[in-house]
Amino acid sequence: MEHGGGGHEIGVHKLAHLAGFTLNIDTLYMTWLTMAIVLVIAFLATRSLSIVPGGWQNMLEMAVTALLEQIENTMGPRGAKLAPLIITLFLFLLIANWLGLIPGFTSPTADLNTTLGLALMVILMVHVLGAVNKGLFNYLKHFFQPYAPFVIINIIEELAKPITLSFRLFGNILAGEVLIIILGLLVPYFVPTLWLGFSVFVGIIQAFIFTMLSMSYLANSVKNDHH
Amino acid sequence: MIDLNATLIAQIINFLLLVALLTKFAYKPLMKALADRQAKIADSLNTAEQERAEAAKLKLEYQQQLLEARTQAQAIVDKAMRLAEQTKEEILEEARSENARLLKTAQEEIAREREYALTQLRTEVVALSMAAASKIIGQNMDTASNAKLVADFIEQLDEQKVGGLPC
Repeated sequence: MEHGGGGHEIGVHKLAHLAGFTLNIDTLYMTWLTMAIVLVIAFLATRSLSIVPGGWQNMLEMAVTALLEQIENTMGPRGAKLAPLIITLFLFLLIANWLGLIPGFTSPTADLNTTLGLALMVILMVHVLGAVNKGLFNYLKHFFQPYAPFVIINIIEELAKPITLSFRLFGNILAGEVLIIILGLLVPYFVPTLWLGFSVFVGIIQAFIFTMLSMSYLANSVKNDHH
Repeated sequence: MIDLNATLIAQIINFLLLVALLTKFAYKPLMKALADRQAKIADSLNTAEQERAEAAKLKLEYQQQLLEARTQAQAIVDKAMRLAEQTKEEILEEARSENARLLKTAQEEIAREREYALTQLRTEVVALSMAAASKIIGQNMDTASNAKLVADFIEQLDEQKVGGLPC
């Protein structure tokens, strides 16, 4: 294993080479840290589940039930199977976005590999589930509707989905981290603190947007078509 | 800045791993807890509703019983009063008849006594008359002295109060 680069530079990753693959090792560390935090929260919340919730359980339950309601609304009853994925997506992105706000850490979502990876995974699931649900032929047919030439627009749309999904999140989080450092250089302490507070908000919003869009993309392939 | 490499695949694997772990250790127990709670709340509400209905039923029952008891008590009181009235009538009737009987007996007694007295008197009067007559005959006086004699005798009779009975 070999680490490249040095110092804290925005957008420059420490690289590791493993069995012919190149890995951004810092992103992976931060991802594992995020996973660990999410798991610890989940562990704290579910350590002693009781009928009357309190503390962590209450918090997690609130988030989970709110998301379940959204899933029920957008995907219908068949969305329940995807609920763990959606909930995990939200929790992971939320913690990942916030992680970069702690000095010395970077958000895993400030690396395009993370966001594009997740977006591609979602889009792949959309197509696979759509094909399984509606039958391959019917699924492919709907790209040619209402007229055959629309296939071009439809394909562009499908290609745009993962790109917009991933770049929106990546851009917001990266910009947030860049701004913290730049504002810190210009007006130390006061302005970066304000921006930090705002970034907490941005972190929630971006995690929510990514989750909601994934949900609505998945909803189309899970739901039965009525047209 | 935008360099894609194997990290992309690694992140997908990481994420799916997290999904699997969370599903197993957090999501399923949490869903179970939620379902349990829902069941418990539904159960509690059900029980409460049942108990409420039961309480209402009991209340109605008690009210009915109370009403019944009141009616019964009233009936008992009425009956007792009627009985008392009847007894009173009976006692009065008895007293009245007893009274009448006693009165009748007394009257009979009086009548009998009177009869007896009269008989007695009559006998005595006869005897006295005989005595007076014999005296008159014995003296053989004139009419005036005879009358005086009889009057004296009668006077004497009154003074002696022979018999002492009312005539």
